[in-house]
Amino acid sequence: MGNRVRQDKNNRRRFWALVFVVVSLFCIIFFAARGRFQVPVSSQAVSLVLSPFQSAFGWVSGELRGITDSIWDVVTVHEQNKMLRNEVAQLRVQNLQASEYAAENARLRALLDYKQAASQFDLVAARVIGRESATWSSMIVINRGTMDGIQNNMPVVTEKGLVGHVVEAGPNSSKVQLILDPRSSVGTLIQRPDSRVAGIVEGDMDNPTMPRMVNIPKNADVDEGDMIVTSGFGGIYPKGLAVGIVSSLKNDAGGLLKIAVLEPAVDFQRLEDVMVIVASREAPPEPFVTPQQTPGTETDPAAEQRAAEEAAGAEDDSTQTENEQ
Amino acid sequence: MKKIAILIGLVLLLYVLQTSFLPLFAIHGVSPDLMLLLTVSFAFLRGVREGALMGFAVGLLQDLSTGTFLGVNAFTRLLIGLVCGSFSDRVFKEQFFLPIMASVAATIANYFILVLLMLLLGYRFDLVHHMGYILIPMLIYQLAFAYPVHRLAYELDKKLSEKYEG
Repeated sequence: MGNRVRQDKNNRRRFWALVFVVVSLFCIIFFAARGRFQVPVSSQAVSLVLSPFQSAFGWVSGELRGITDSIWDVVTVHEQNKMLRNEVAQLRVQNLQASEYAAENARLRALLDYKQAASQFDLVAARVIGRESATWSSMIVINRGTMDGIQNNMPVVTEKGLVGHVVEAGPNSSKVQLILDPRSSVGTLIQRPDSRVAGIVEGDMDNPTMPRMVNIPKNADVDEGDMIVTSGFGGIYPKGLAVGIVSSLKNDAGGLLKIAVLEPAVDFQRLEDVMVIVASREAPPEPFVTPQQTPGTETDPAAEQRAAEEAAGAEDDSTQTENEQ
Repeated sequence: MKKIAILIGLVLLLYVLQTSFLPLFAIHGVSPDLMLLLTVSFAFLRGVREGALMGFAVGLLQDLSTGTFLGVNAFTRLLIGLVCGSFSDRVFKEQFFLPIMASVAATIANYFILVLLMLLLGYRFDLVHHMGYILIPMLIYQLAFAYPVHRLAYELDKKLSEKYEG
């Protein structure tokens, strides 16, 4: 009899302990989501222990992917080569125009005495070693941490565009919140010169692979296919990083604003190597130089020759000035 | 003591596999959730107490290491460990069908608890669209991985109880 009473008492205590744990977890979720609660050291300790294992597995999966990719490359190389030649020809034309614009830009800037806006970044390359499978938030783990100079709130990019920012830098690994995460928000602009509409790009829970640009006025000039770049507002992301392309437009539930669904510039499904911007400073843009044409693919021999002559001429000039001095 | 060390090793191995290898095969960014499967299997094999503890521990590990909404995984996994564990004395350990079906049910339950939490946190989304986009690939993956994970947990449990409990 007494035994039974004690067991009942034990059971009741266990039940209340459980209720206590569940309720406190519930509270922690809400406090943490509102940013009023930070896990002190434990989170960094966990990443410190896990990151070597993750690195090893990340390396193996990177190799595997490398092998399958190279097989695919070999199979498609002929077709791809044709397309690339075509693209090179088009890009050369564009390049010529761009250098024309660059010259004009430099001249006009000098005329207006405008501050140089082009900035130069110091980058730290990092490998993605972990990715969360949960679909409510999008985070990756990279293999660089405070020991490599990474700190919180540093922007993370690839050569194609913006990836996200560092939210928690550990000693040898860091957590990066992608722009797909619903908690992330990036100040952005439409790149088209006659539009320049500003908005905020947020992660979308409905579609975890495509973020959306919100707060666009209903009559704003936004079209499908417009390029979205960072505006530099907010201080985390520098200006002018590619974010994505508008893939569709829809009306906000309130009816006053529009929402643009973006095709991100970066392929988040195949994210392997990223770069962290550890410092950005303003610097004069580098002089425009036409890249060397690959032998056998010259589409414009005349331009090639001209470039070679110019290069030779420039060298002569510099030797001359040196001699004069 | 050694038993706990082996269990921790298993959890870490599966976790690292889940975060660094399985995302290669992700559909719509969804990849299998081995930690959830492990919680269900473990709860069915070991009962309510250890099931709940396991759920809480792996959930916390996930929360701390990837930096999602803190505590959500610990919360859902604790509940799932509790519920599955309370069925453990009513099924034979050699029965494989039920734990595997239960892991599908647990995935659905996990999904809806998270939906509820997200709604309470103030995020709005189109549920029907989201279910088609996320839940269905998730269920297919979980069904495919439920058997291997349960088999692994079962063999390990058998070996450990033979060795340390007589």
